[in-house]
Amino acid sequence: MENMKINQLPSKTWNWLKMNETAVSGISVSGAHEGNLEIPEGITKTVCPAGLPDRFKDIAGGMGSDMDMLVKESAAGAVLLSADSDVSGEPARIRFAYGASEHSLNTFGILAKEGSNMTVIMDMAAERNDAPVRTGTTAGVSPAAVSLIEHAGLSSVQTKLILEKNAKVTLVQIIRNKNAKTVLNDIGAKVADGAKLSVIHLFLGGDKVYNGCKAELIGKKSNFTADIAYTVADDCMLDMNYVALHEGKKSVSEIRTDGVLHENARKLFRGTIDFKKGAAGAVGNEKEDVLLLDDDVVNQTIPLILCAEEDVEGNHGATIGKLDDDLVFYLESRGMALAEIYKMMAKARIDAVLRFVPDEKTKADVASYLESEGSNGCE
Amino acid sequence: MKEKTYVEDVDRNMYDFRNDEKDAYRIKSGLTEDIVEKISEEKHDPQWMHDFRLNSLKIYHEMKVPDWGPSIEGLNMDNIATYVRANTKMKGDWSEVPEEIKDTFEKLGIPQAERTSLAGVGAQYDSELVYHNVRKEVEEQGVIYTDMESALTGEYADMVKDHFMKLVTPHDHKFAALHGAVWSGGSFVYVPKGVSVEIPLQSYFRLNAAGAGQFEHTLIIVDEGASLHFIEGCSAPKYNVANLHAGCVELFIGKNAKLRYSTIENWSKNMYNLNTKRAKVEEGGVIEWVSGSFGSHVSYLYPMSVLNGEGARSEFTGITFAGKGQNLDTGCKVVHNAPKTSSYVNTRSISKDGGISTFRSSVVVSAKAKGSKSAVSCQSLMLDDISRSDTIPAMDIRTKDADVGHEAKIGRISDDAVFYLMSRGISEEDARALIVSGFADNVSKELPLEYAVEMNNLIHLEMKGSIG
Repeated sequence: MENMKINQLPSKTWNWLKMNETAVSGISVSGAHEGNLEIPEGITKTVCPAGLPDRFKDIAGGMGSDMDMLVKESAAGAVLLSADSDVSGEPARIRFAYGASEHSLNTFGILAKEGSNMTVIMDMAAERNDAPVRTGTTAGVSPAAVSLIEHAGLSSVQTKLILEKNAKVTLVQIIRNKNAKTVLNDIGAKVADGAKLSVIHLFLGGDKVYNGCKAELIGKKSNFTADIAYTVADDCMLDMNYVALHEGKKSVSEIRTDGVLHENARKLFRGTIDFKKGAAGAVGNEKEDVLLLDDDVVNQTIPLILCAEEDVEGNHGATIGKLDDDLVFYLESRGMALAEIYKMMAKARIDAVLRFVPDEKTKADVASYLESEGSNGCE
Repeated sequence: MKEKTYVEDVDRNMYDFRNDEKDAYRIKSGLTEDIVEKISEEKHDPQWMHDFRLNSLKIYHEMKVPDWGPSIEGLNMDNIATYVRANTKMKGDWSEVPEEIKDTFEKLGIPQAERTSLAGVGAQYDSELVYHNVRKEVEEQGVIYTDMESALTGEYADMVKDHFMKLVTPHDHKFAALHGAVWSGGSFVYVPKGVSVEIPLQSYFRLNAAGAGQFEHTLIIVDEGASLHFIEGCSAPKYNVANLHAGCVELFIGKNAKLRYSTIENWSKNMYNLNTKRAKVEEGGVIEWVSGSFGSHVSYLYPMSVLNGEGARSEFTGITFAGKGQNLDTGCKVVHNAPKTSSYVNTRSISKDGGISTFRSSVVVSAKAKGSKSAVSCQSLMLDDISRSDTIPAMDIRTKDADVGHEAKIGRISDDAVFYLMSRGISEEDARALIVSGFADNVSKELPLEYAVEMNNLIHLEMKGSIG
C-alpha cells in the first residue's frame, strides 16, 4: 500500500501534537516469511491459504483497518492455531529469522476454545545478529558501501485471537528484527466470559517499529493484561497503540509499560481504556514509566480513559524522567561507569517483563541476546 | 436495588432573564468582508487594525473546523450577528448606565462586588463595554485598566499594537482567526514594574442578544516584579438559537511577576464557547489559572501557559460540571520552553444527566527546558450511567533532564465511603452529597467566591472550603 494510516487514537486530540495517528508510506509485501514453527501436542495447526476463517473477520486490530487491507491485498494466507484443552505446559514457538531485504507479511489466528489454555511465543529476529549496519554509523566503511547494506526490509505480522469462555492465552512477542527498516505488528482479540488474554511484548530492535494491540473484552469477567518493555536507541523509533475495550461486566484490564530511550530514539505510546455503556463493575488500569538516558530522545505519551459507564474504575499514571542523580552517584561510587549503569537499568526493565514469559528456553535466549547486544535495541 | 441520590443541576434561573434589543445597533448576520469592514468602521479602527481584521477573515476562510472535539455542526455563522451595540456609550459611573442594563448587572451582583471587594470593574453588554471604572488608589499606582477600544487609540496604543494577537495569532485555529476579524470589547490592563495590586480587578461579560456572538479581547501586561489578580465572569440568558462566544485572552507576565486569572464561565446552554486563552511567562514569573466551567452547550477551552523564562511557573486549577445537553471539552496546555520551569495541573470534572465532560491537556517539554518539572492530576466523577467522561492527556518530552508525572482517575461515588459516613450517623443522602462536595473541594476553595457573586448559586453541591 502506498499510504497507510495506522495506530489511530480512539478519540482524537490536537493535530499539532502529531499523536492522533501515524502515516506509513511505501509498504509493499512480497509474501509470507517461512518461519520455524514448533507446535506442541494439543495445539492444532491449520494452514488457511485464503486467510483466516470468517469468525475472525470482524475482529479489529490495534493498527486499524489499513492493516487489514494490507493483509487482504497481500493474499499471503494465514496459519490458524487452536487448542481445546489446557496445553500451557509446552508453548507453541514461532521463530522468524528475517533476511536483510525481505518484505513479508504473516497472518495468524489463535482460537482458544472454551476452558483451554495455551501459550504462543513469537520471536521476530534478524537472520544474522551482525547484519545491521546503518548509514554513517560504521567507521571505516565508505558511505556508498554503507548505503548498500542499509536496512531495507519489512516484516509484518498480524495476529487475531478468539478466546472462548474461560479460555486463557498467553501471547509473547519479541521484536528484535534489526534487519528491518519497518516492522508492523498488529494484534486484535475478542475475549469472552471469564477468559483471560495476557500479552507480553519485548521491543528490542528494529529501525521503525509500529505496534497495535486491541482487546475487546466482550464477556463478563473477561480479562486483558499487557506487559510491555522496550529499549530504543540510536535513530530508532517505536510507535505503539494499545486499546482495552470494556464491554463485559466486571471486565478487567491492565496495561503496564516500562522502557528506556537512548541517543536519538523516538517513542510514542498510546494507551486507551475504553469503558462502554453496560460494562458495570469494570476496572482498567494503565501505567507507563519511561527512563530517558540521553538529551536527544523524544518521548510522547498519551494515555486515554474513555468512559460511558458510571460503575467503573479507571486509572492511569505516567512517570517520565532521567535516572535519579543520587542513584547514579551511588553506583559510580561503587566503580560502575555511566555506560554500564545505563546498560544495567535498561536490562532491568526488560528483565522485569521477561520474568513473566512462561518458557525458560525463551528467557535464556533473550537474556543471552541482551548480554551480547547491550540492551540498546538497534545499536 | 440501590437508590440513587439526585444531585442538583446548576441553578441557572438567576441568569436566565433577558432585555429587549430596543434601540440597539445590530449588524446583519453572517460573516463577509463587508460586515468586517462595517465593524471596523463602527469602531473607528486605526488602519493597521482594519487591515488586521481583513487578513484574519481571509485566514478564517482558509482554515478547517477542528476535527477532534465536540461537534459544532449546530453553529452556523450565517445566523450569527457578530456585532450588537446597546444604545449607550461607556460610563464611569453606575448611575449613568441605562436603567435596564444597570438592572442586569445589579441582578448579577456586579456593582455590589465592586463596592466591597474589587479594585476595578469592566462590564460588557453584548459587543461593547458599558461601564469601566478603577479605584483611585489603584490608578495612582500607575495601573491602567481600560476598555480595549480606548487603549487602541490612547496613550498605550503602541503597547497594544506590539502585543495584540501576538501570543494567539489568527493562524492558531479557525476561531482565533474569527476573533481577529470581528473582535469587539474587552479590557486592557497594564501593571507597572514592582506594583502589587492587592485586590482583584474584574471584567464581566453579558451577552443579551439572541443569535449573536461576543468576541471580547482581554490583554493584560504585568510588568517585572508586579502582581495582579484578575477575575472574569460571564453569563447569558438562554435562547432557542445558537449564540457564540469566541473571546481571546492574552497575558504577558514579566520577570518575577505574578498573575492569577480566575474565570467563572456560566454561559447559557445554547452557547458555543470557543474561547482562547494564553499566557507567556518570563523568568521567575508565575501564572495561576483558576477555571470553573459550568455553562455552555459546547465548550472548547484550554488555557495555555508558555513558560518562556528560567524558573517560570504555572498552576492550573479547574472544575467542569457537565449537565444535560452539555458537551464541555476543557483542560489546559503547558509549554516548558526554558530551564527549571515547573507546572502543576489539578482538575476535577463531574458529569450527570447525559452531560459529556472531556479533560484534554498537553504538556510539552522542549529540549531547552532542562531541569523542568510537571505534575498533572485529573479526576472525574460520573453521577449516572447516561453521562460520559473522557480524559485525553498528552505529554511530549524532548530532554532527559525533566521530571514529568501524570495521574488520572475516573469513577463513581465509593460505596465504602458512603457506608463509613453512614456508620457515623450521617444519612445516605447527606453522605453522598458530602462526598461530591469533597470531590470538588480542593478546586472550589481556589475559586474567588467572594468576588464572583454568581458562584453562590451556581452549584447545589454544597461546596465547602476556604476562599483562596
